[in-house]
Amino acid sequence: MTTPKSLFALLRRERPAAVLAGLSLAVLPAAIPLASTPAALQLLPAAQAQSQNSRVLRISAIPDQKPEKLNRLYGLVANELSKQLKVQVRYVPVTDYGAAVSAFRTGDLDLVWFGGLTGVQARLQKPGARVLAQRDIDASFHTIFIANARSGIKPITSVQGLNQLKGKRFTFGSESSTSGRLMPQYFLSQAGVKLNDFAGGAPGFSGSHDATIALVQSGAYDAGAVNEQVWRASLHDGKANRNKVMAIWKTPGYPDYHWIAQGNLDKRFGAGFTNRLQNAILSWRPQDPEQKQILSLFGAQQFTTATPAAYTRIEQVGRQIGKIR
Amino acid sequence: MNATRLIRPAAPLLVVLPALVFLPVLLSLPGQIHGGGWDLIGQFAWAALTPSLDPLVLQSLLNGLAVTIGMALLGWALSLVLGLGLGLVSSRLLWRTLTGTALPADLIRRLLALPRSIHELIWGLLLLQLIGQRPAVAVVAIALPYGALVARVLSDLLDALPTANLAGLRAAGAPAPAALLTALGPPLLPGVVSYGGYRLECALRSATLLGVFGLGGLGNELLLTLQSLEFHELWSGLWLLLAVMLSLETVIGILRRRWSMPGRFGLAGERSGGGSVGRRGREILLTLTLLLPTLVVVARALAVDPSTLLHWQPLPPLAPQGWATALALPWPRLVADTLVLTLLAAGLAVGGAPLLLLLVAPWPWGRRLLQLLWALGRLWPPPLTALLLLFVLQPGVVAAALALGFHNLGILGRLLLEGSEAAGPEVEQGLLCGGSGPRLALLYGRFSGLARSYLAYGAYRADVILRETVVVGLVAGSGLGSQLRESLSAFAWDQLALLLAVYALLTLVGEDLSDRGRQRLLGTA
Repeated sequence: MTTPKSLFALLRRERPAAVLAGLSLAVLPAAIPLASTPAALQLLPAAQAQSQNSRVLRISAIPDQKPEKLNRLYGLVANELSKQLKVQVRYVPVTDYGAAVSAFRTGDLDLVWFGGLTGVQARLQKPGARVLAQRDIDASFHTIFIANARSGIKPITSVQGLNQLKGKRFTFGSESSTSGRLMPQYFLSQAGVKLNDFAGGAPGFSGSHDATIALVQSGAYDAGAVNEQVWRASLHDGKANRNKVMAIWKTPGYPDYHWIAQGNLDKRFGAGFTNRLQNAILSWRPQDPEQKQILSLFGAQQFTTATPAAYTRIEQVGRQIGKIR
Repeated sequence: MNATRLIRPAAPLLVVLPALVFLPVLLSLPGQIHGGGWDLIGQFAWAALTPSLDPLVLQSLLNGLAVTIGMALLGWALSLVLGLGLGLVSSRLLWRTLTGTALPADLIRRLLALPRSIHELIWGLLLLQLIGQRPAVAVVAIALPYGALVARVLSDLLDALPTANLAGLRAAGAPAPAALLTALGPPLLPGVVSYGGYRLECALRSATLLGVFGLGGLGNELLLTLQSLEFHELWSGLWLLLAVMLSLETVIGILRRRWSMPGRFGLAGERSGGGSVGRRGREILLTLTLLLPTLVVVARALAVDPSTLLHWQPLPPLAPQGWATALALPWPRLVADTLVLTLLAAGLAVGGAPLLLLLVAPWPWGRRLLQLLWALGRLWPPPLTALLLLFVLQPGVVAAALALGFHNLGILGRLLLEGSEAAGPEVEQGLLCGGSGPRLALLYGRFSGLARSYLAYGAYRADVILRETVVVGLVAGSGLGSQLRESLSAFAWDQLALLLAVYALLTLVGEDLSDRGRQRLLGTA
């Protein structure tokens, strides 16, 4: 208790020191940004989007996995596209599914790897946007329902079995995720499970597929719903421990992720640019070492063309659940 | 009315009265605990001692921290400029002196209640939709509600100043503007500088919170590391943030004492140094001149470009039956949840601080431990605490109230401790020497004198908590906040508009109630 007072007295005697203390208030916050200005800019995606010139192709993706992985993957994608299209390509990370849709609507992003639901939302909000491609696995994508081994939940063989999740602690991924929220909620409703049937009266929203697996494995939630591709990857690299967390059901297939481009790219980058962009993505093959790396991080063999019509089913379910209006 | 007069509790009891809320919360806890994630809580606690020292991790955390500090500093500075201007034009005294009528002041005050009633997070999320992902968004999101708050505090301070000097100068023939500046400037300064310093502490917390929701800076890294259960990296970030927060609080505290500024809730007893006026003025001026170039440099480093604020983007189209759906939301339940959440959290925070201080009173290290705990409470954005709690608790009002209560306990506890230390040790020492126990001595010696001003501050805090419910609601799934998240992700503007209206209405009523409560508490002292 005497410390502040004696400090006070000390400051009165030591005037230069006191002035220094006063100055530090002003200088301390400034010193840090100054020391790391370029890196600080890297961290602010918006700063990059803002310092655009119209010749930079800004690509992005919904943040469905860990940022480190996204940075690695889309850094590679940016390099590859830049090499093939001879334009500057920059990856602009976003922090939220909804933010990706908004940034696409506001014209801050040119090419985005959207999920099924966010892609439909983006196209409805930005008429003229073009669906370019999907992975071979996206035409019929699956959600895996997973459960903690100690939860007492048993593997099931049909959608009706999901009703054993009533009264359990259940988590989705992000609230705008197609494979982590939209389709699982659709299948749950087919089994007669409403959102307020879960323990606590509401499901959790873990934020991402990795987080769902970690939370269910730890026992914080009894069960959850994840994207099949992330689930396989987690089993493969040992992040998911089969003794603690298990798959209980694989949903029927539905269309999911796809690349969507702004409608004005031809105007900005020259006639035919959108088609060249589409062909570049479709041309990636495992024979090329760099393209192989990209494809394996995407968990795919190759990309195929996609059409808006493929996503009408997602749109219907989105409307049913109130995520598309 | 009569009954409340008859059974008025004694002052020392008054302080711990809000702690009664612990009873229902503790009683309901066994039903809420699922305990699935105790392992995780253990890992989290252990990671506090073993934070990650990986240079890559630290580098990225430091960058995030720099962005957060920069956003806080810019938002704070802008809010002060806004607040000073708006505060002056909403002062009744000023209008009356200059034009003879105070009507415009009342009108402006009413208008300013609106930006104030909406939490900075909501401002941030709305601006994000309107102008896209720009660094300026977080700065403006902080500056708008803060500016309106500063304006209110400033105009209240102004209107409460004694007007004898002003009347004297006017009577002697001084023109109104000059008389106002001379008579009111100097007595206003200490209050403004003291409050300004406090707002900077708040701005740092707000900037961290905005980061959690993706508006840039360290907050997002904290959230991501928590979500991916990388607790060692999480703690590296938390310790860094704690160091910055504590040094900021210390520097502001030293400056406040050095410049003989009043404490937070005017708890008397601060001895002002006699001839410090000239020196104080010089130092404040020097700080201000240093601050300006700093702000410019920070703004450039963060690439904040004010012109981007003018490029408004069209909102997504509304659904045909949108309004009907919006009206059909379960409004009574949402509002009731929000109110229960506010009361529980406020009770936990206001009652918890004195209760915990009393509990640890006999042990010399208890208070230090409590101070550390409170610092962590102030530091952790409530949604992170809520996420942690969900490892072992069911989602719902109790988990949300605990998270929100813990955060505000950190703020209130520090104020109570500051206040009780400023009150002087005489009475407590006397009681101790007279043979009473350390707890009773603390309760009667220090708290009873503070009771009313502390509770008055608590009433103000309850109003802040009501505004903050949105922040935990987004995570813990209760109250209006949980609906806000759903409506945002569905881009449902109609629902958002209604939600905002309900929020504004609630907080305005809450503000009025808390003002009345505060006046009664202070008036009957």
